[in-house]
Amino acid sequence: MTADRLLLDLDDAQRPLIEALIKRALEFKRGVADASVRLKGKIVVGMFFEASTRTATSFAQATHKLGGTWHDFHPESSSLGKGETLEDTMRTIQAIGADALVVRHSESGFPHALARHFSAAILNAGDGWHAHPTQGLLDAMTLVEEFGTLDGRRLVISGDIRHSRVARSSARAAHLLGAHVTLCAPPLLLPPTSPGWGFAELSTDLDACLPRADAVMLLRIQKERADGAELPPAEDLMEGYGIDDARVGRMAPQAIIMHPGPVNRGVEISGALMDDPRSRIERQVENGVYVRMAALERCLRAAAAVGAR
Amino acid sequence: MKNRVPNRDFVGARVIDPTLGLDAIRTIAVRNGVIAAIIDGAPAEPDLDAERVDCAGMVLCPGFIDPHVHLRHPGDPQKETLESGLAAAAAGGFTAVAAMPNTRPPIDRASAVSQLIRAAEAIGGVRCYPIGSVTIARAGDSMAALRGMAKAGAVAFSDDGATTASLKALYHAARLIADLPQPFLSHCDDPAFEGALMNEGAISDLLGVAGAPNLAEAAIAARDLLVARVTGKRWHLCHVSARETIDVLRWARSTGVDASGEATPHHVRCTDDQLLGFDASMRVNPPLRSATDVRALKAAVVDGTIDIFASDHAPHAPDDKEPPLSHACVGFSGLETAVAAMFDTFRDLPIATLVANFSTNVARLLGVEGGTLAPGSPADITGLHLERQWTVDPAAFLSKGRATAFSGQAFDVKPAMSVVGGAIVYAVDRSGRPLQGPNAARRAVKA
Repeated sequence: MTADRLLLDLDDAQRPLIEALIKRALEFKRGVADASVRLKGKIVVGMFFEASTRTATSFAQATHKLGGTWHDFHPESSSLGKGETLEDTMRTIQAIGADALVVRHSESGFPHALARHFSAAILNAGDGWHAHPTQGLLDAMTLVEEFGTLDGRRLVISGDIRHSRVARSSARAAHLLGAHVTLCAPPLLLPPTSPGWGFAELSTDLDACLPRADAVMLLRIQKERADGAELPPAEDLMEGYGIDDARVGRMAPQAIIMHPGPVNRGVEISGALMDDPRSRIERQVENGVYVRMAALERCLRAAAAVGAR
Repeated sequence: MKNRVPNRDFVGARVIDPTLGLDAIRTIAVRNGVIAAIIDGAPAEPDLDAERVDCAGMVLCPGFIDPHVHLRHPGDPQKETLESGLAAAAAGGFTAVAAMPNTRPPIDRASAVSQLIRAAEAIGGVRCYPIGSVTIARAGDSMAALRGMAKAGAVAFSDDGATTASLKALYHAARLIADLPQPFLSHCDDPAFEGALMNEGAISDLLGVAGAPNLAEAAIAARDLLVARVTGKRWHLCHVSARETIDVLRWARSTGVDASGEATPHHVRCTDDQLLGFDASMRVNPPLRSATDVRALKAAVVDGTIDIFASDHAPHAPDDKEPPLSHACVGFSGLETAVAAMFDTFRDLPIATLVANFSTNVARLLGVEGGTLAPGSPADITGLHLERQWTVDPAAFLSKGRATAFSGQAFDVKPAMSVVGGAIVYAVDRSGRPLQGPNAARRAVKA
């Protein structure tokens, strides 16, 4: 859902939105003269029901660079834990003067539920297996930086697709910009219908996908998302769908490696490859701040326009 | 015991009764709460004291019995009370309902069965048949006092709301009452998939939501119908939703198992894409399935594999149906839309078949009286207007539950009158205005 004040997922997003946000993020990266006052006086509240270091820090840094104020709301120690309803908590946060909410939750659709009770901006920082829109945008931005246009480029996403919100958002963002997306996993962890999510090619053979790929994105093993009745042992998954030196040798010379982090060294990706010239893992983190600046700016502007009416 | 109800002649209606092979304009003569005769024309020996109820333009049929409702009594009056639930049943065209035992506390002992029967009789109107739980506290492991509950008046046994987790307990429960007529009603949903919030399929995958596959239902259905086969018990599958469950039911029947299955209005009309956007109000168990399942379910009703309709009336307070998905309670308020929705869905089936699915076949399943207008039967009669356009407005429900899968939908068929033991417990005029009491009812049906 991408009503202007909301960035909840990219499920119904259109190409112009993705392009505009990436364009703005690239501007911020090059330097925007008045960037540091764009969110002057604005309060952004981070509501992370699920542990996060890099995404929370990245959003906080983006807020800071735009001149806004970041507050952490600690759900576990809040009145929500004491039986307060979601609606009442949201009213309180709104009354405090929050202009935007950045939400992460283990349940898919949780930010969508919050949006019913909060009239200012909401940005989804990850909901369950469903969506992680700013990750999708930063991955798309990284690809755009690398290749210019994505039309005709081939992105392979490998690993536990089923339980990955990153896969859903990154695949869609790249697809909307014209990339050909292949999802690579054992049948259990692939979408049940082909094409996946309406657009993605499905494959169970990473080795067969590698030679034609322009970018390979490895997914983190997330044991917290599913139990052993739903997920194979990590080693078993990564033998077929992780990347090591031998697999890198099958990639085209200009192809890049991406990973949403944090990386389990030696699991999805061998330790040495972290520093390989093909790796864009640090670039992704860096771009995350600029993408979040662009997203915060857009959603807050839209929320202010609604509030002014 | 009961107040004597007036003798009545229900005149001028199209009377449809599958047990009598009847579809014609007839007069139903009711004496002392019992159907005395079904007459072509005027009664030969008119009872001058009998009230004449003009039912021209109405279809009258054996009273509809809903084999699967949740009345939330005792324990959750904010969701529903016996009064509101039975009123909703009457308004929905039902003359009897069978109440599932997942109340607080659950109906898992004879005293609870007796209390429910007494409480419902004190209210009067629609008959309320208790269903006892198979296991103590519906916990799925230890057998409840099934024989005592049967003696107290339980018409069936079910741990509905969940599958009886222990095959051992279910098997022994079935053997415990192998000599009694009460059937088992299975809620098929493998407990290992607890935590599933919707159907597993392309939609759940798009939303990144944990889903329950068809298999979670069909595998338990197969398990339970094997128990039926080895114990010889009459068995019934509640709210069949998955196409594989229908296959299981066909297989069981082909091997001689005395088994049936029920279809709910939401499972024959709604699909899982209605949860797109995380619409928590559409959560139900079993979940709304794919279009392929809906087609299979409708075909199973058409070919008679499934020959019982149930509302699975599951009322909740408004806050209980709020998102996120994990917070929302499952189920819809169904009593006041079930008849219209099923007649609309199966408009190509003979009306007599729909009547049988709502009445005769349910009475047979539960071993209760009714299901026929044969002389000597209790005068439980459902009256319908077949061509009276109306639009579902949950705010107008008599049930406290307002979450419906059909809000704003337009239907042709509208329940017009519910008669229980000769008493008119509900009647509306053609504009749908509820009128109560015999005089009001007479005015209504003349209007």
